[in-house]
Amino acid sequence: MNRLTPEQLAAGVQDLPSLPAVVMELLSSIEQEDIDISVLAKKVSYDQALTAKTLRLANSSSYGLQVKVTTIQQAITFLGFQTTRNLITAAAITGCFPSGQCAGFHDKSFWRHSIATAACARALARRMRFNQDIAFTAGLLHDIGRLVLVTGHPDAYDQVVAWHAEHGGDWQDAERAVLGIDHVDAGVALADHWNFSSTMRQVIAYHHTPDTHGAGFLAAIVHVANAIVHALDLAGEDDELVPRVSSVAWDAMGLNEEAYLHLFRETELQFGEMSTILMT
Amino acid sequence: MSGPFQLTPLAETRPGMVLSDVVRDGKGNVLLAQGVVLTESMLASLGRHGIDVLPIVQAVPAAAPIDPVAVRARLDHVFRKHDRDDLGDWATGILRRYVEDYRLEREVAA
Repeated sequence: MNRLTPEQLAAGVQDLPSLPAVVMELLSSIEQEDIDISVLAKKVSYDQALTAKTLRLANSSSYGLQVKVTTIQQAITFLGFQTTRNLITAAAITGCFPSGQCAGFHDKSFWRHSIATAACARALARRMRFNQDIAFTAGLLHDIGRLVLVTGHPDAYDQVVAWHAEHGGDWQDAERAVLGIDHVDAGVALADHWNFSSTMRQVIAYHHTPDTHGAGFLAAIVHVANAIVHALDLAGEDDELVPRVSSVAWDAMGLNEEAYLHLFRETELQFGEMSTILMT
Repeated sequence: MSGPFQLTPLAETRPGMVLSDVVRDGKGNVLLAQGVVLTESMLASLGRHGIDVLPIVQAVPAAAPIDPVAVRARLDHVFRKHDRDDLGDWATGILRRYVEDYRLEREVAA
Protein backbone atom coordinates (compact mmCIF):
# COMPACT_ATOMS: atom_id res chain seq x y z
CA MET A 1 0.00 0.00 0.00
CA ASN A 2 1.02 3.53 -0.69
CA ARG A 3 -0.36 5.41 2.27
CA LEU A 4 0.49 9.09 2.27
CA THR A 5 1.14 10.76 5.57
CA PRO A 6 0.21 14.40 6.07
CA GLU A 7 3.96 15.14 5.99
CA GLN A 8 4.37 13.48 2.60
CA LEU A 9 1.35 15.35 1.32
CA ALA A 10 2.80 18.64 2.53
CA ALA A 11 6.17 17.83 0.95
CA GLY A 12 4.44 17.04 -2.36
CA VAL A 13 2.65 20.37 -2.24
CA GLN A 14 5.94 22.21 -1.62
CA ASP A 15 7.43 20.65 -4.74
CA LEU A 16 4.61 21.81 -7.00
CA PRO A 17 5.33 24.26 -9.78
CA SER A 18 4.62 27.75 -8.58
CA LEU A 19 2.27 30.15 -10.25
CA PRO A 20 3.48 33.47 -11.58
CA ALA A 21 3.76 35.81 -8.59
CA VAL A 22 1.08 38.08 -9.95
CA VAL A 23 -1.40 35.20 -10.10
CA MET A 24 -0.64 34.21 -6.52
CA GLU A 25 -1.38 37.79 -5.60
CA LEU A 26 -4.70 37.63 -7.44
CA LEU A 27 -5.76 34.38 -5.83
CA SER A 28 -5.08 35.48 -2.31
CA SER A 29 -6.94 38.74 -2.80
CA ILE A 30 -9.93 37.46 -4.73
CA GLU A 31 -12.50 39.22 -2.56
CA GLN A 32 -10.49 42.38 -2.18
CA GLU A 33 -11.64 45.37 -4.20
CA ASP A 34 -8.93 47.91 -3.40
CA ILE A 35 -6.07 46.67 -5.52
CA ASP A 36 -3.99 48.98 -7.64
CA ILE A 37 -5.23 47.98 -11.06
CA SER A 38 -2.62 49.74 -13.16
CA VAL A 39 0.22 48.03 -11.31
CA LEU A 40 -1.48 44.70 -11.76
CA ALA A 41 -2.12 45.21 -15.47
CA LYS A 42 1.54 46.06 -15.92
CA LYS A 43 2.75 43.00 -14.01
CA VAL A 44 0.55 40.66 -16.04
CA SER A 45 1.61 42.19 -19.33
CA TYR A 46 5.23 41.18 -18.67
CA ASP A 47 4.08 37.60 -19.14
CA GLN A 48 3.27 37.42 -22.83
CA ALA A 49 1.84 33.93 -22.95
CA LEU A 50 -0.43 34.69 -20.02
CA THR A 51 -1.52 37.98 -21.57
CA ALA A 52 -2.30 36.37 -24.92
CA LYS A 53 -4.42 33.63 -23.39
CA THR A 54 -6.26 36.09 -21.14
CA LEU A 55 -7.09 38.34 -24.08
CA ARG A 56 -8.38 35.43 -26.15
CA LEU A 57 -10.69 34.53 -23.28
CA ALA A 58 -11.83 38.12 -22.91
CA ASN A 59 -12.60 38.26 -26.64
CA SER A 60 -14.48 34.96 -26.67
CA SER A 61 -18.19 35.20 -27.29
CA SER A 62 -18.93 34.17 -23.68
CA TYR A 63 -18.16 37.72 -22.65
CA GLY A 64 -20.02 39.35 -25.52
CA LEU A 65 -17.66 42.27 -26.10
CA GLN A 66 -18.46 44.44 -29.13
CA VAL A 67 -14.83 45.49 -29.51
CA LYS A 68 -11.75 43.36 -29.45
CA VAL A 69 -9.55 44.15 -26.48
CA THR A 70 -5.83 44.11 -27.12
CA THR A 71 -4.34 44.92 -23.72
CA ILE A 72 -4.99 43.83 -20.14
CA GLN A 73 -5.81 47.42 -19.27
CA GLN A 74 -8.49 47.47 -21.99
CA ALA A 75 -9.91 44.20 -20.78
CA ILE A 76 -10.23 45.72 -17.32
CA THR A 77 -11.94 48.77 -18.77
CA PHE A 78 -14.53 46.77 -20.72
CA LEU A 79 -15.03 43.70 -18.54
CA GLY A 80 -14.29 45.11 -15.13
CA PHE A 81 -11.53 44.22 -12.76
CA GLN A 82 -13.17 41.18 -11.16
CA THR A 83 -13.83 39.43 -14.45
CA THR A 84 -10.41 40.17 -15.89
CA ARG A 85 -8.76 38.96 -12.72
CA ASN A 86 -10.59 35.66 -13.01
CA LEU A 87 -9.66 35.26 -16.65
CA ILE A 88 -6.00 35.81 -15.80
CA THR A 89 -6.25 33.20 -13.06
CA ALA A 90 -7.92 30.69 -15.37
CA ALA A 91 -5.29 31.25 -18.05
CA ALA A 92 -2.46 30.78 -15.54
CA ILE A 93 -3.79 27.77 -13.67
CA THR A 94 -4.58 25.71 -16.74
CA GLY A 95 -1.00 26.11 -17.95
CA CYS A 96 0.95 25.53 -14.79
CA PHE A 97 0.74 21.79 -14.11
CA PRO A 98 2.87 19.38 -16.12
CA SER A 99 0.82 16.81 -18.04
CA GLY A 100 1.46 13.13 -18.65
CA GLN A 101 2.80 12.46 -15.14
CA CYS A 102 0.74 9.39 -14.58
CA ALA A 103 -0.33 7.11 -17.42
CA GLY A 104 -3.79 6.31 -16.10
CA PHE A 105 -4.69 9.90 -15.31
CA HIS A 106 -6.16 11.81 -18.24
CA ASP A 107 -5.05 15.40 -17.92
CA LYS A 108 -7.21 16.47 -20.85
CA SER A 109 -10.36 15.01 -19.33
CA PHE A 110 -9.49 16.58 -16.01
CA TRP A 111 -9.28 20.03 -17.54
CA ARG A 112 -12.34 19.49 -19.70
CA HIS A 113 -14.28 18.65 -16.56
CA SER A 114 -12.85 21.60 -14.63
CA ILE A 115 -13.48 24.13 -17.41
CA ALA A 116 -17.03 22.86 -17.94
CA THR A 117 -17.71 23.07 -14.20
CA ALA A 118 -16.36 26.62 -14.20
CA ALA A 119 -18.68 27.60 -17.08
CA CYS A 120 -21.66 25.89 -15.43
CA ALA A 121 -20.96 27.41 -12.00
CA ARG A 122 -20.73 30.84 -13.61
CA ALA A 123 -24.05 30.37 -15.40
CA LEU A 124 -25.70 29.07 -12.22
CA ALA A 125 -24.29 31.94 -10.16
CA ARG A 126 -25.83 34.47 -12.54
CA ARG A 127 -29.25 32.93 -11.98
CA MET A 128 -28.62 32.96 -8.21
CA ARG A 129 -27.43 36.60 -8.32
CA PHE A 130 -24.17 35.38 -6.83
CA ASN A 131 -20.75 36.68 -7.88
CA GLN A 132 -20.19 34.99 -11.26
CA ASP A 133 -16.46 35.50 -11.38
CA ILE A 134 -15.82 33.90 -8.04
CA ALA A 135 -18.09 31.00 -9.02
CA PHE A 136 -16.13 30.54 -12.26
CA THR A 137 -12.78 30.32 -10.48
CA ALA A 138 -14.24 28.06 -7.79
CA GLY A 139 -15.57 25.70 -10.46
CA LEU A 140 -12.20 25.65 -12.16
CA LEU A 141 -10.34 24.87 -8.93
CA HIS A 142 -12.74 22.52 -7.15
CA ASP A 143 -10.85 19.32 -8.00
CA ILE A 144 -7.34 20.82 -8.08
CA GLY A 145 -6.35 18.39 -5.31
CA ARG A 146 -6.35 15.59 -7.88
CA LEU A 147 -3.56 17.38 -9.74
CA VAL A 148 -1.67 17.79 -6.49
CA LEU A 149 -1.78 14.03 -5.93
CA VAL A 150 -0.95 13.15 -9.53
CA THR A 151 1.91 15.65 -9.82
CA GLY A 152 3.38 15.08 -6.36
CA HIS A 153 2.92 11.30 -6.16
CA PRO A 154 2.58 9.88 -9.67
CA ASP A 155 3.56 6.31 -8.75
CA ALA A 156 1.11 6.17 -5.88
CA TYR A 157 -1.58 7.62 -8.09
CA ASP A 158 -0.97 4.86 -10.64
CA GLN A 159 -2.20 2.47 -7.97
CA VAL A 160 -5.24 4.64 -7.38
CA VAL A 161 -6.01 4.37 -11.09
CA ALA A 162 -5.59 0.59 -10.94
CA TRP A 163 -7.87 0.33 -7.89
CA HIS A 164 -10.45 2.50 -9.65
CA ALA A 165 -10.32 0.35 -12.78
CA GLU A 166 -10.94 -2.75 -10.71
CA HIS A 167 -13.58 -1.47 -8.28
CA GLY A 168 -15.20 1.42 -10.18
CA GLY A 169 -17.08 4.01 -8.18
CA ASP A 170 -15.92 7.46 -7.10
CA TRP A 171 -12.33 8.63 -7.38
CA GLN A 172 -12.57 9.74 -3.80
CA ASP A 173 -13.15 6.14 -2.67
CA ALA A 174 -10.20 4.92 -4.73
CA GLU A 175 -7.92 7.61 -3.35
CA ARG A 176 -8.95 6.87 0.23
CA ALA A 177 -8.50 3.13 -0.23
CA VAL A 178 -5.00 3.38 -1.68
CA LEU A 179 -3.54 6.59 -0.28
CA GLY A 180 -5.51 7.00 2.93
CA ILE A 181 -6.26 10.58 1.90
CA ASP A 182 -8.24 12.01 -1.00
CA HIS A 183 -8.16 14.92 -3.42
CA VAL A 184 -10.19 17.05 -1.03
CA ASP A 185 -7.39 16.82 1.58
CA ALA A 186 -4.80 17.53 -1.09
CA GLY A 187 -6.80 20.46 -2.45
CA VAL A 188 -7.11 22.01 0.99
CA ALA A 189 -3.36 21.58 1.51
CA LEU A 190 -2.75 23.38 -1.78
CA ALA A 191 -5.23 26.12 -0.89
CA ASP A 192 -3.23 26.74 2.28
CA HIS A 193 0.09 26.59 0.49
CA TRP A 194 -0.97 28.90 -2.34
CA ASN A 195 -2.76 31.16 0.09
CA PHE A 196 -6.20 30.92 -1.55
CA SER A 197 -8.96 33.05 -0.10
CA SER A 198 -11.06 31.32 2.54
CA THR A 199 -14.05 31.19 0.16
CA MET A 200 -12.05 29.13 -2.36
CA ARG A 201 -10.75 26.90 0.41
CA GLN A 202 -14.32 26.24 1.58
CA VAL A 203 -15.42 25.22 -1.90
CA ILE A 204 -12.51 22.83 -2.31
CA ALA A 205 -13.18 21.37 1.13
CA TYR A 206 -16.97 21.00 0.85
CA HIS A 207 -17.94 20.58 -2.82
CA HIS A 208 -18.67 16.89 -2.17
CA THR A 209 -20.45 17.60 1.12
CA PRO A 210 -22.33 20.87 0.70
CA ASP A 211 -24.77 19.89 3.47
CA THR A 212 -22.03 20.38 6.05
CA HIS A 213 -22.79 23.20 8.44
CA GLY A 214 -20.84 26.28 7.35
CA ALA A 215 -20.00 24.91 3.88
CA GLY A 216 -21.38 28.05 2.26
CA PHE A 217 -23.61 28.74 -0.73
CA LEU A 218 -20.76 28.68 -3.22
CA ALA A 219 -19.98 25.07 -2.28
CA ALA A 220 -23.61 24.22 -3.12
CA ILE A 221 -23.34 25.98 -6.50
CA VAL A 222 -20.14 24.13 -7.37
CA HIS A 223 -21.60 20.84 -6.11
CA VAL A 224 -24.58 21.14 -8.45
CA ALA A 225 -22.44 22.40 -11.34
CA ASN A 226 -20.08 19.44 -10.89
CA ALA A 227 -22.98 16.96 -11.01
CA ILE A 228 -24.48 18.64 -14.09
CA VAL A 229 -21.18 18.48 -15.95
CA HIS A 230 -20.79 14.79 -15.12
CA ALA A 231 -24.37 14.21 -16.29
CA LEU A 232 -23.81 16.15 -19.53
CA ASP A 233 -20.84 13.85 -20.17
CA LEU A 234 -18.53 16.68 -21.20
CA ALA A 235 -15.16 15.38 -20.01
CA GLY A 236 -15.04 12.63 -22.63
CA GLU A 237 -14.40 9.77 -20.18
CA ASP A 238 -15.87 6.36 -20.99
CA ASP A 239 -16.40 5.58 -17.33
CA GLU A 240 -18.03 8.93 -16.55
CA LEU A 241 -20.05 8.72 -13.34
CA VAL A 242 -22.57 11.15 -11.84
CA PRO A 243 -22.10 11.45 -8.08
CA ARG A 244 -25.06 11.53 -5.72
CA VAL A 245 -26.57 15.02 -5.82
CA SER A 246 -27.23 16.61 -2.45
CA SER A 247 -30.95 17.36 -2.20
CA VAL A 248 -30.16 20.28 0.09
CA ALA A 249 -27.87 21.86 -2.52
CA TRP A 250 -30.35 21.11 -5.33
CA ASP A 251 -33.17 22.71 -3.34
CA ALA A 252 -31.03 25.76 -2.64
CA MET A 253 -30.83 26.48 -6.39
CA GLY A 254 -34.63 26.66 -6.63
CA LEU A 255 -34.70 26.46 -10.44
CA ASN A 256 -37.39 24.83 -12.58
CA GLU A 257 -36.79 22.44 -15.46
CA GLU A 258 -36.94 25.11 -18.13
CA ALA A 259 -34.20 27.05 -16.35
CA TYR A 260 -32.05 23.94 -16.14
CA LEU A 261 -32.44 23.17 -19.84
CA HIS A 262 -31.23 26.70 -20.67
CA LEU A 263 -28.40 26.23 -18.22
CA PHE A 264 -27.34 22.97 -19.91
CA ARG A 265 -27.29 24.66 -23.31
CA GLU A 266 -25.32 27.65 -22.00
CA THR A 267 -22.81 25.37 -20.28
CA GLU A 268 -22.19 23.32 -23.41
CA LEU A 269 -21.73 26.37 -25.63
CA GLN A 270 -19.36 28.19 -23.29
CA PHE A 271 -17.45 25.04 -22.51
CA GLY A 272 -16.81 24.42 -26.20
CA GLU A 273 -15.29 27.79 -26.77
CA MET A 274 -13.37 28.08 -23.51
CA SER A 275 -11.80 24.66 -23.68
CA THR A 276 -10.36 25.46 -27.13
CA ILE A 277 -8.74 28.58 -25.73
CA LEU A 278 -7.54 27.22 -22.40
CA MET A 279 -6.26 23.88 -23.59
CA THR A 280 -3.91 25.08 -26.33
CA MET B 1 -20.30 38.93 -33.83
CA SER B 2 -23.01 36.39 -33.94
CA GLY B 3 -23.07 32.73 -33.13
CA PRO B 4 -20.14 30.51 -32.32
CA PHE B 5 -16.89 31.06 -34.15
CA GLN B 6 -13.46 29.53 -34.11
CA LEU B 7 -10.13 31.27 -34.46
CA THR B 8 -8.61 29.25 -37.28
CA PRO B 9 -4.99 29.39 -38.46
CA LEU B 10 -4.77 30.67 -42.03
CA ALA B 11 -3.17 27.40 -43.16
CA GLU B 12 -6.31 25.52 -42.09
CA THR B 13 -8.85 27.85 -43.66
CA ARG B 14 -10.50 26.83 -46.93
CA PRO B 15 -12.46 28.68 -49.60
CA GLY B 16 -16.15 28.70 -48.68
CA MET B 17 -15.60 29.35 -44.97
CA VAL B 18 -17.37 32.44 -43.59
CA LEU B 19 -15.79 35.23 -41.53
CA SER B 20 -17.54 35.82 -38.21
CA ASP B 21 -15.96 39.23 -37.78
CA VAL B 22 -14.14 41.94 -39.73
CA VAL B 23 -10.48 41.27 -40.46
CA ARG B 24 -8.08 44.17 -40.05
CA ASP B 25 -4.41 44.52 -40.85
CA GLY B 26 -1.80 45.59 -38.31
CA LYS B 27 -2.74 49.25 -38.82
CA GLY B 28 -6.40 48.67 -38.16
CA ASN B 29 -7.53 48.97 -41.79
CA VAL B 30 -10.43 46.71 -42.64
CA LEU B 31 -9.34 44.04 -45.13
CA LEU B 32 -12.52 42.00 -45.24
CA ALA B 33 -15.97 42.53 -43.79
CA GLN B 34 -17.87 40.30 -41.42
CA GLY B 35 -19.86 37.57 -43.19
CA VAL B 36 -17.59 37.40 -46.23
CA VAL B 37 -17.35 33.99 -47.85
CA LEU B 38 -13.63 33.34 -48.32
CA THR B 39 -12.17 32.59 -51.73
CA GLU B 40 -8.81 31.22 -52.79
CA SER B 41 -7.55 34.65 -53.82
CA MET B 42 -8.69 36.30 -50.57
CA LEU B 43 -6.78 33.70 -48.56
CA ALA B 44 -3.64 34.33 -50.59
CA SER B 45 -4.05 38.07 -50.14
CA LEU B 46 -4.57 37.77 -46.38
CA GLY B 47 -1.33 35.80 -46.18
CA ARG B 48 0.48 38.68 -47.91
CA HIS B 49 -0.98 41.07 -45.33
CA GLY B 50 0.56 39.05 -42.54
CA ILE B 51 -2.76 37.68 -41.22
CA ASP B 52 -2.17 34.29 -39.65
CA VAL B 53 -5.44 33.55 -37.91
CA LEU B 54 -9.08 34.16 -38.93
CA PRO B 55 -12.37 34.17 -37.02
CA ILE B 56 -14.42 31.55 -38.85
CA VAL B 57 -18.12 30.93 -38.31
CA GLN B 58 -18.58 27.49 -36.85
CA ALA B 59 -20.53 25.32 -39.20
CA VAL B 60 -23.64 24.33 -37.35
CA PRO B 61 -23.30 20.56 -37.45
CA ALA B 62 -26.06 18.91 -39.38
CA ALA B 63 -28.24 17.66 -36.55
CA ALA B 64 -27.50 13.98 -36.22
CA PRO B 65 -30.69 12.05 -35.67
CA ILE B 66 -31.18 11.41 -31.98
CA ASP B 67 -31.28 7.78 -31.01
CA PRO B 68 -33.36 7.58 -27.82
CA VAL B 69 -32.21 4.06 -27.05
CA ALA B 70 -28.54 5.03 -27.21
CA VAL B 71 -29.16 8.21 -25.19
CA ARG B 72 -30.91 6.25 -22.44
CA ALA B 73 -28.27 3.53 -22.42
CA ARG B 74 -25.50 6.10 -21.98
CA LEU B 75 -27.44 7.87 -19.22
CA ASP B 76 -28.00 4.53 -17.49
CA HIS B 77 -24.24 4.05 -17.54
CA VAL B 78 -23.36 7.57 -16.37
CA PHE B 79 -26.01 7.43 -13.62
CA ARG B 80 -25.12 3.84 -12.65
CA LYS B 81 -24.66 4.78 -9.00
CA HIS B 82 -28.14 6.23 -8.76
CA ASP B 83 -30.80 3.93 -7.35
CA ARG B 84 -34.26 4.90 -8.64
CA ASP B 85 -35.89 3.28 -5.63
CA ASP B 86 -33.87 5.27 -3.13
CA LEU B 87 -36.33 8.04 -2.30
CA GLY B 88 -33.68 9.93 -0.34
CA ASP B 89 -31.76 10.36 -3.59
CA TRP B 90 -34.43 12.31 -5.48
CA ALA B 91 -32.17 15.17 -6.56
CA THR B 92 -29.99 12.83 -8.64
CA GLY B 93 -33.17 11.39 -10.15
CA ILE B 94 -34.44 14.82 -11.18
CA LEU B 95 -31.08 15.70 -12.73
CA ARG B 96 -31.21 12.52 -14.77
CA ARG B 97 -34.76 13.26 -15.97
CA TYR B 98 -33.82 16.83 -16.98
CA VAL B 99 -30.70 15.70 -18.84
CA GLU B 100 -32.73 13.04 -20.63
CA ASP B 101 -35.33 15.63 -21.66
CA TYR B 102 -32.51 17.87 -22.83
CA ARG B 103 -30.78 15.17 -24.88
CA LEU B 104 -34.05 13.99 -26.43
CA GLU B 105 -35.11 17.60 -27.05
CA ARG B 106 -38.44 17.10 -25.38
CA GLU B 107 -40.79 20.04 -25.11
CA VAL B 108 -40.91 21.24 -21.53
CA ALA B 109 -43.77 23.19 -20.01
CA ALA B 110 -42.60 26.49 -18.58
